[in-house]
Amino acid sequence: MSSRADILARVKTNKPKLLNIPNIALDVFEDGRDLLKEFTVKVETAGGQVFETQSKDLVVGEVQKLFPEAKVNFSTLENTEDFNTINLEAIKTPHDLEDLDVLIVESNVGVAENGAIWLNDALLPMRILPFITKHLVVILKKDDLVTFMHQAYQKLNGEDTGFGVFLSGPSKTADIEQSLVIGAHGALSLSVFLV
Amino acid sequence: MSHSKAATIFNKDEKKVNWHDKALWFVRHKRDKSVHSVEGWENLRNLGQGIKAHMLSNLDNYLIQFEEKALKNGVQVHWAKDGDEHNKIVHSILKEHNAKKVVKSKSMLTEECHLNPFLEADGIEVIDTDLGERIVQLAKEPPSHIVLPAIHKTKEEVDELFQEHLGTKPCGGDPQYLTGEARKHLREKFVNADAAITGVNFAIADTGGFVVCTNEGNADMGAHLAPVHIACMGIEKIIPKQEHLGVFLRLLGRSATGQHITTYSSHFRKPREGAKMHIVIVDNGRTEQLSRPDFRASLQCIRCGACMNTCPIYRRSGGHSYDATIPGPIGSILSPGKDLKKHSSLPFASTLCGSCSDVCPVKIDIHAQLYKWRQIITKEMKQPFVKKVSMEMMGKMFAKPSQFEKVGMVARWSLRNLPKSVINSKPNVWGRERDLPKGPKESFDEWYKNRKKNE
Repeated sequence: MSSRADILARVKTNKPKLLNIPNIALDVFEDGRDLLKEFTVKVETAGGQVFETQSKDLVVGEVQKLFPEAKVNFSTLENTEDFNTINLEAIKTPHDLEDLDVLIVESNVGVAENGAIWLNDALLPMRILPFITKHLVVILKKDDLVTFMHQAYQKLNGEDTGFGVFLSGPSKTADIEQSLVIGAHGALSLSVFLV
Repeated sequence: MSHSKAATIFNKDEKKVNWHDKALWFVRHKRDKSVHSVEGWENLRNLGQGIKAHMLSNLDNYLIQFEEKALKNGVQVHWAKDGDEHNKIVHSILKEHNAKKVVKSKSMLTEECHLNPFLEADGIEVIDTDLGERIVQLAKEPPSHIVLPAIHKTKEEVDELFQEHLGTKPCGGDPQYLTGEARKHLREKFVNADAAITGVNFAIADTGGFVVCTNEGNADMGAHLAPVHIACMGIEKIIPKQEHLGVFLRLLGRSATGQHITTYSSHFRKPREGAKMHIVIVDNGRTEQLSRPDFRASLQCIRCGACMNTCPIYRRSGGHSYDATIPGPIGSILSPGKDLKKHSSLPFASTLCGSCSDVCPVKIDIHAQLYKWRQIITKEMKQPFVKKVSMEMMGKMFAKPSQFEKVGMVARWSLRNLPKSVINSKPNVWGRERDLPKGPKESFDEWYKNRKKNE
């Protein structure tokens, strides 16, 4: 018997009688907190920062002020050729992105309860981008904020993406004596611009 | 070596035990703070428990569904009965791609299967990329905790280890500097890797996708750079639907470290263009655990480590004293199912206080299962003579109230009147390294009766 058939047969024999699947009722989680305030607090708790801006077009200017030293930049926004110092078409392997200083991308879901932001294949020209960049900037519409993870998955239902990530704050570790260090393998900083 | 013997060795360094105890209690405290801020937390735990219990009762069908969807997504699916078959499958995939350098993110399953030594024997370099795991890999030790693999190491020890292996400067254990150096060292490994291996936190039956959670971003750095991604999962990682992630991602980070969610919760469904993705589904004793009605709930575990952080025994004996891939309370109910003889002392490494069950995000009755394993072990394994005889004596004494009262009276008198040299003498194990309380004049029974009289 193949291992597949063997494992499936053993599960079938050994599993308990079928139990019902519970329904997820959302009203028990309602805490009446302010969406925008909660999101901001949670992004900051996770080590990121939140800015509010009038328009998407202003973000590049703000970012240049935030990171004046940055040399290698890329943005997925339209009309940012002046800001972009790399041409993704010319990048042959993801390894050539090693020196990327600042990346600006857009997100379509933000979660207030934990500050998580959704990025997927449709929003990222390459999957490695938000991880390999030194500084990550994400633009998010206030209308795209939801309260809990449950609503976030309701929004994502039916989305057929090859890869997606909920990202909360910059990369971090506390593996040395429980001391929090920001900047493990991924981005060293996260800035979220709410439009 | 029994758990108590290994714990005795760990306890020789009192200062380090106190430090270890505090470090883990700090994590438990962070968990409490974050959990208490969530409205409906107990409902969330009930949902987590209910979804996982349902999954186990329909696991064969969900596995079939998961495989079908994953294949449609362009992912290759492999099945392994045991650790050995798992290792051979991973090895053959690496051979097929001529992969010599492998980066691996945290996976307790590959630890359980002893994948690293198997691959290294064929000259394949395997680098553990989680900082804590890299630390213990350099120290040639197993992880001592499933979420915090190097929690038993002080920063000074890490400093010395890095000086020796990574050529860093002495820094008095500065975590910022040491983490920065590890980032540089591992960045080079990520960029040059031929393949990436990751674990799986949740595998979703209705999409064929799987989720990997990290704080460091190491799973993503590996998987998105290397041409081949191999994800290894136990059969019990399945959840029915993507929307169920809403429950588990709310539970996991908060229970583990007190974070409201891990920094990266990465959802893999299809390989990126030009790259290959493989999933290895492993049994290795899980179907047997599924057959045991008293113990199958242990397969609901989402590996948050909360039961370890809260356990008074784990905190004071260290993860290595369990001599098992998964230490702590949950490990002590999983390991005897795999090898009863080797792990027969683990269910006794507990005060049965029940704190583990209280913090468990999927409501596994850990302490009740520890108690049940004790019943089995006491029947099936030969017990030490002294323990057997003293248990029989105690049994008789507790069965007769008049005898119990007499023994109690003698004990209370002795605790009041005998000199310390006798009370803390060697035969009295209860007096080892602790002062015993002064014996009260009356027993609870006497106190209760007197109180009734005076009413």
